[in-house]
Amino acid sequence: MPRPNPRMITFTIDGRETQAPESSMLVDAAKHGDVEIPVFCYEPKLGGPVGACRMCLVEVEGIPKLQPGCATPVKDGMVVNTQSERVKEAQRGVVEFLLVNHPLDCPVCDKGGECPLQDISFGWGGGISRFVEPKRHFVKPVELSSKIAIDRERCILCYRCVRFSQDVSEDHQLVLLERGAHSYVATFDGHPYEAPFSGNIVELCPVGALTALPYRFKARPWDIEDAGTVCTLCPSQCNVTLTVRDEKVLRALARENPEVDDGWLCNRGRFVRDAIHGPQRVTEPMIRDGGVLRPTTWERALAEAAGALARAGEHSAALAGGGATNEEGFLLARILRERLGSPHIDSRPAGKLPLELHRALAEPSLQARVSDLEHAHAVLVLDCDPVRDMPIIDLRIRKGVRHKGVALAIASQEPGALDRRAAEVVRFAPGMGGVFAQALASALGDGAEVDRLAQQAGSDAQAVRSLATLLAGTGAQDAAGQEPREVAIVWGEALASGEHGAAGVQALLTIAQRLGLAETSGAGLLEVPAEANGRGLREAGVLPNAGPGLRPSPEPGMDARSIARALAGGDLTALQLLQCDPLVDGYDRELWAPALERATTVIAHASTLTEGIAEHANVVFPAESHAEKEGTVVHPDGRIQRLRPVIGREGQTRAGWLVLADLAAQLGLDLGVNTGPEVTEQLAEAVPFYAGLTLQEIGPKGVRWQDRDAARRLHAERVAG
Amino acid sequence: MSAATAERRMLLLNDIDEPGLATREVYERRGGYESLRKALSMEPEALLTELKDSGLRGRGGAGFAMGTKVSFLPKGAAQKYLVCNADESEPGTFKDRELMQKCPHMLIEGIAIATWAAGISRAFIYIRGEYVLQADILDAALAEAREAGYVGQNILGSEHSLSLVVHRGAGAYICGEETGLLDSLEGKRGNPRLKPPFPAINGLYQGPTLINNVETLSTVPSIVKMGGEAYASLGTETSKGTKLVSISGHVQRPGNYEIELGIPSREIIYDLAGGPADGRQVKCWFPGGSSSPVLTGDDLDIPYDFDSLAKAGTMLGSGAIIVVDDSTPILDVALKTAKFYRHESCGKCTPCREGTNWTVKMLERIAAGEATPMDLDIMASVCTNIIGNCLCVLGDAMAMPIGSMIAKFRGEFEQSIEQARLAAEGALV
Amino acid sequence: MSGFASGWDQATDRDKLPAEIPSPDQVEVPAALRQEIEGHMSLYPDPTSAALPALAAAQRVHGWCSPEAIEQVACVMQVTPASLAAVATFYDMLETEPVGRHSVYVCTNISCSLRGADALLDAVKAAAEGDGELNVRAFECLGACDIAPMASVDGVYVGPLAIEDVPQLLDDVRSGRPVLPEKQLARMLVADPAANSQQYPSHPVQSVDNEGQRR
Repeated sequence: MPRPNPRMITFTIDGRETQAPESSMLVDAAKHGDVEIPVFCYEPKLGGPVGACRMCLVEVEGIPKLQPGCATPVKDGMVVNTQSERVKEAQRGVVEFLLVNHPLDCPVCDKGGECPLQDISFGWGGGISRFVEPKRHFVKPVELSSKIAIDRERCILCYRCVRFSQDVSEDHQLVLLERGAHSYVATFDGHPYEAPFSGNIVELCPVGALTALPYRFKARPWDIEDAGTVCTLCPSQCNVTLTVRDEKVLRALARENPEVDDGWLCNRGRFVRDAIHGPQRVTEPMIRDGGVLRPTTWERALAEAAGALARAGEHSAALAGGGATNEEGFLLARILRERLGSPHIDSRPAGKLPLELHRALAEPSLQARVSDLEHAHAVLVLDCDPVRDMPIIDLRIRKGVRHKGVALAIASQEPGALDRRAAEVVRFAPGMGGVFAQALASALGDGAEVDRLAQQAGSDAQAVRSLATLLAGTGAQDAAGQEPREVAIVWGEALASGEHGAAGVQALLTIAQRLGLAETSGAGLLEVPAEANGRGLREAGVLPNAGPGLRPSPEPGMDARSIARALAGGDLTALQLLQCDPLVDGYDRELWAPALERATTVIAHASTLTEGIAEHANVVFPAESHAEKEGTVVHPDGRIQRLRPVIGREGQTRAGWLVLADLAAQLGLDLGVNTGPEVTEQLAEAVPFYAGLTLQEIGPKGVRWQDRDAARRLHAERVAG
Repeated sequence: MSAATAERRMLLLNDIDEPGLATREVYERRGGYESLRKALSMEPEALLTELKDSGLRGRGGAGFAMGTKVSFLPKGAAQKYLVCNADESEPGTFKDRELMQKCPHMLIEGIAIATWAAGISRAFIYIRGEYVLQADILDAALAEAREAGYVGQNILGSEHSLSLVVHRGAGAYICGEETGLLDSLEGKRGNPRLKPPFPAINGLYQGPTLINNVETLSTVPSIVKMGGEAYASLGTETSKGTKLVSISGHVQRPGNYEIELGIPSREIIYDLAGGPADGRQVKCWFPGGSSSPVLTGDDLDIPYDFDSLAKAGTMLGSGAIIVVDDSTPILDVALKTAKFYRHESCGKCTPCREGTNWTVKMLERIAAGEATPMDLDIMASVCTNIIGNCLCVLGDAMAMPIGSMIAKFRGEFEQSIEQARLAAEGALV
Repeated sequence: MSGFASGWDQATDRDKLPAEIPSPDQVEVPAALRQEIEGHMSLYPDPTSAALPALAAAQRVHGWCSPEAIEQVACVMQVTPASLAAVATFYDMLETEPVGRHSVYVCTNISCSLRGADALLDAVKAAAEGDGELNVRAFECLGACDIAPMASVDGVYVGPLAIEDVPQLLDDVRSGRPVLPEKQLARMLVADPAANSQQYPSHPVQSVDNEGQRR
């Protein structure tokens, strides 16, 4: 669907001519003229303006009443005044009203120093209150959930938090009860506000009414430093600002990137302190001694690991996952292929996929962006549950449905959170996503095989057909042929797994072809990989059948499932686990439990001691959390993003690339890297479609490699090959 | 000749107490639904012209020209809605209640006609929940109208189809505000919405929506019957037609009266309603419900119409006159008024939520003998900070009458402050 | 079970699960109530519009909009109970604290108070003291200032009321008789003498069934 592309107009604010995008709201347009109009309730991320707080009243020439700047679109030639006595009086009046019941307990308030109410009272308020009556008093603070406290005395009823619950996360758990001056924010009958994205309300609150329990009384704004990086706890790769005090990450805030996270975080990424500083964190090298992991020195751990790998040689294998960077994956693959002579490396739990399919899926013209989910005519969620697998896009899909009328279709093996918002929901039997995709491909083609394939997939054939109609836009209600139909397909890596995986991916490509996704801008495929940096690791060469840049590897290796069988059978003896634990990370547990049991040596680069590591690793290298790491990752839509260290490494932890370089050195291989950025350089040289990429170019918001000239190299190779 | 003795034109209250008028049988016998037949034989555009020619201004409070409102609706096939605002809650107002209870078919006929003129096929009557009897009567009348084919598919064989539902509110004054009403009808809290977009463009279920008051729609059959021009010959140049006036408070014959707009207010208060009890004088009066700035006994000769009242700094509003005689302290009236708006403020916007609350507290402080005359200035200033700065008109609806009381009865307020202060001191000693 | 008005000071209970949309097998809903709510939902393009009539129906069954009542409505309407609690607490006629079965709303707005409504309310409250069956409340303008001071008794408007009427009024409520038949609004003729061209008899009296429910 068409995306806003407003022209610039000229208007006058406080006597100065200013350019601003047409129809932007005055509060935003004013910023183009360096004028700040104060707001409380206005937050475009929550949807359209509500005009509730009345803080933004300004004078617009030709309109007798003061107008809310948050809800008045700027027009060419408009004359706006924010400095007249009338405006100032109204703004002073609103501040005075807001403070009527506000306790002014700033000295003991966590928001103090970073509080919009403080700032606006100081900047626009009258400095005195004429309110002499007693203020209301409540028990405070009280728990709203296990993570959030609410102080109802401080609340100014701006509606932001309840709008988030209703219009963004759509959990409808947080509401206003009662009416007028008695209104208060609450849940139903004392139920806690537990929802995957509930933590966002803390960041939305413009006063100290909602505070995060883990952060309460931990720091003042002048005690802390904020630094930006990327969360790698899931494939969403949300951009975050981490708040640091004394080398500890105290909280995570959203660092809005409209092409990634739209300014939201999930609770897992937000309440991140335990993942970084928790008791499970590995902070020193360990080796198994007498059946127990015991701390040791780096030298001993490296020597032990190198010795074991040297002994295993081509009987070594490796898995990478989690938040492992492209650089770490790249170096790991080099060690295996260049020194150990083993091609057995993988980053996909699912099993091997033919390389031509990997390459076809990476075709730049087929890639959907996250923002396409908001603007497409139709979105198909196929064999994944976003809120579980890539939480932040759940919100983006909801936004599209709510605000843009996106037709949402779900095809999955079990009920999911988005089902209620879907125009079409089709189920298939567990593990049958690949067959389902074939049925859908057939329905979009001549339809000859729909009945047979749908039955095999355990789906209703009629539902498959009506899904095809919805996607193709050929239904009775669809206006035919007006504009190219934009369809975005969000598909889970599960589709590409198991015996039907390759056929499923082939069918997916057929679906894409039949819907014309490659030819349509704003349409495409978006894979939800099983691992947070699944895409980056594959492109860096962590695949059994591909080297860096999805180029054929000289000697094909075993995929993850075969590695497990070979370990269990004794054909492989050593396993390196780079931020990956096959017992907990979505790998086939039944295959992997005996594999780890039987392996002679398991070397883990791990930041936490999860089950498989704790029970089976012989050597454990402490790995960095995303707050400590330097390097790059690739978002599922191809956006290369940069991790920046925001704290010093915990305990004896060393940089991941350095550990691998040291290990290689012990094995007699000089990887030729002395700094982190040098690894990135090597990677950019090795991957043709990253050619010339620098950390500087990636910048704070990342860069999609498909948008760079070098992307043609993948295409050129494909055509040539 | 005074209003009480003059031959007054009755369009709405004509034989309103005739037994059985709430039934279709009696209503039809009196010529009911003939206007609908006539309207359906006309092109919607021609019908709309009649409505515009009538000059009928909305009877709910804002006084916006009904025909113009209809013409704001976008043309085309989009689903449009009509919502009849029967959430009559403005203190002092009870005219719609009388119409719905006694002549429900007139409203239904008006809706059937208006929807034809506006190209609307779905309509709702949002009636305040307290009006149980009236809602039951409307439901019964609607069932009769459906049975007779006045509502439903292809009304009287025409192309016009209409689904009509009576929706009961549950007690919230703010739902009389048109956008609060829409949210309430959508099953939400009755919070007013930001305007624009106006309901005519984006209203119920985000569709174009025409919202009219009961009295307005009940007038439509008369306009169709007599013709827009004939209707416009009643009343004054800018306030055409007849109007129901609800009069209450300190008068001897409170109730509903149908007047031609433009007659002197004195005739309504004294000749029709009998004025205050013998020996009592009019101290102040609300001319258009409790939201209108008060007038005093000196203002009784102001003609009762939209423009004359506006010129006097107040408004005709819902057409509800509340008379207060000289036995009641102005402080009591102010406190009642302010408390009402505090109770009914939805809480969405700051000045209304906090301003009504604060005003009540200041008035209570006066009553408790803890105020000084300076507090009157603060109160006036608080009212100023409310007026024009709120999301909807509820805040203004408190601030304007309270502001007018302070301005017009400052001396009495100061006396009350002093007396209450002395009483409080006395109690301490 | 407690109501909502005291929620200001309350923390949430960590032992409870988050209040999501109830799954149909989770909540038992009386069949008649379910049927009535579904009937309301069918009247609107968006079934959410049925929230007010549905809550009113649940209140008739449960006596008030208790958490249990709200959960039942939420289950039928497939919305979260919180979104219904937000609605229920907004409207004066929906009770979110336990109350007596019979409602006596005494209008204390301007016109009625000018004619003695405050004293009337005190008298009704005093006479109803200790009677758990009665829900006596001050109410804002009920739209019957022509019979001021007045009250709405289980939905039946009566007025003008004198203090002396109070014992009879309460007696009528308690015994299930039509309330003060002579003072019912339903019987009143319009005030305007020019409205009626002839003398008409007054209208019939309203009666209330035993449950204090009118519908």
